[in-house]
Amino acid sequence: STTPDDETVCVYVVITLYFPAPAYHLILEGILILWIIRLLFSKTYKLHETYKLTEKEKEDLIEEWQPEPLVPLASKDCLSLNYDVVTGPPSHKIIINGKECINFASFNFLGLLDNERVKEKALASLKKYGVGTCGPRGFYGTFDVHLELESRLAKFMKTEEAIIYSYGFATIASAIPAYSKRGDIIFVDEAACFSIQKGLQASRSFIKYFKHNDMEDLERLLKEQELEDQKNPRKARVTRKFIVVEGLYMNTADICPLPELVKLKYKYKVRIFLEESLSFGVLGEYGRGVTEHFGVDIDDIDLISANMENAIASIGGFCCGRSFVIDHQRLSGQGYCFSASLPPMLAAAAIEALNIMEEDPDIFAILRKKSEHIHKALQGISGLKLVGEPFAPARHLQLERSTGSRESDMQLLRSIVDQCLEGHVALTLARYLDREERILPPPSEAIPAHTGRGRGTPWTGRPPIAVPTFQQTLTLQTI
Amino acid sequence: MNVGVAHSEVNPNTRVMNSRGIWLTYLLLTVVLHVILLSIPFFTVPLVWTLTNVIHNLVMYLFLHTVKGTPFETPDQGKARLLTHWEQMDYGVQFTSSRKFLTISPIVLYILASFYTKYDPTHFLINTSSLLSVLLPKLPQFHGVRIFGINKY
Repeated sequence: STTPDDETVCVYVVITLYFPAPAYHLILEGILILWIIRLLFSKTYKLHETYKLTEKEKEDLIEEWQPEPLVPLASKDCLSLNYDVVTGPPSHKIIINGKECINFASFNFLGLLDNERVKEKALASLKKYGVGTCGPRGFYGTFDVHLELESRLAKFMKTEEAIIYSYGFATIASAIPAYSKRGDIIFVDEAACFSIQKGLQASRSFIKYFKHNDMEDLERLLKEQELEDQKNPRKARVTRKFIVVEGLYMNTADICPLPELVKLKYKYKVRIFLEESLSFGVLGEYGRGVTEHFGVDIDDIDLISANMENAIASIGGFCCGRSFVIDHQRLSGQGYCFSASLPPMLAAAAIEALNIMEEDPDIFAILRKKSEHIHKALQGISGLKLVGEPFAPARHLQLERSTGSRESDMQLLRSIVDQCLEGHVALTLARYLDREERILPPPSEAIPAHTGRGRGTPWTGRPPIAVPTFQQTLTLQTI
Repeated sequence: MNVGVAHSEVNPNTRVMNSRGIWLTYLLLTVVLHVILLSIPFFTVPLVWTLTNVIHNLVMYLFLHTVKGTPFETPDQGKARLLTHWEQMDYGVQFTSSRKFLTISPIVLYILASFYTKYDPTHFLINTSSLLSVLLPKLPQFHGVRIFGINKY
């Protein structure tokens, strides 16, 4: 109930209050009020959204474009269309296409695949838990066996903590992007395997490749980076730096120079991620891998990742290291958070495999001896080059001279493999996704070794028909 | 974005200023700050208004224009690592309602503070410079700009 009198008083008060306001102030407020009005009527728009192509640029782009078929044409004899079918357990002998062969084709180094104890434990677990878990670890997918396996792995590797993944490939591919983000820098060996490459891709970090096992090249890159960091210390402070290497390289079957890497780590303040899929359960006196092989303190390595699909003969993978580091993956490892957890049966099998490895560390010495034996025996095959460390459990045979093209090389190797199959020896061709690999390794055949243990008695088979190309291999295995 | 409800935002920072009640909360917090300052004895009314304005703008500058990145781990591998909250808001779209609201509010506070400080030149200087510190970084022209590389990394 305001009267006209009240209103005039109000107006008067406002005017007298404003009156002493200096002109600059009134102008500024006027501008601000105009700004508000303009703001209220401004339309929303996206910054840097439109880049207008000129007609010529459009034409060029259209000209450049080559349509690709949705499904590329594949010839009938394409490798991936012609499977060799395995029946029965792939242990020392493997039945391929109905033919019993000596198995040189799977990564069952310790012979744990057809181990009775492992089978029993897996069966008991199957009866108790069923097959799958139907839930990721965070959502009722954590079973007691998972926790047991994690603590057992941590104990085995002598680290604070371990984390298991349900798929070996996804382990390192999830671990790398969990730590290395946009703007970070990863130094990686050129020969790194495919799962590492996928991890690097997912991390969106800057990737710097150094020549395979060339520490001078790595140091050159690290020095370059150091200079860069000195120029811009603020940026350096928020940039994480990693070296990613494999223990035993899947693509070359040779070992990384870990002691030198550790030296470089402390000199240039980078972190080391070590992928040990081929060396875990193989190298070292107790099978702890490359760190044990070189006598390097495992705490000097920031993260070790390995899959349980080779030596342990189960499925899945694990990472181990300090709790502070490993724990981060429980919310950031994509493969850990978003995959159903490892079937309890497989975890139980892995635990039993660890039991066997702990009870009988001699198997690692036997494996090493056999590997060296095979290495010696395979040397000097005319036309073929043996690649890899003598003590590596798997190795590559490559053609000494290329026949001209990758396809013809592959065909030649394929015919060697086929001929060996005829002679009841199963070898395998190393397969790569030619278009996806950063540096395509030369065509080769991968030859894993076995301990010959795990079936109670060492394997003594009948001598198979000898094929000239692989005679040495065959005579060796019948010893 | 509603609190306590599942969302599928890659970076929740982009939407947090559009959640229900956040504008009201912001206004209430500013009023509470003002009331607290008013309740302190010996503080004159002009001083309290200038203090409210300066503190408000400082906090706004800190949270919208200084702190970069996200307080949580985002699945985009740290896309917003080098972006301030203001730059992340609404995926960088300019002149959205939240942006307009957060631009207008310090101006209104400034006009109020000017009025209650009776256009005193000292207060004017303090209030105006403080206002500019939060208005200029909000201009689309300054999106992603780091003058002299300050606060770049």
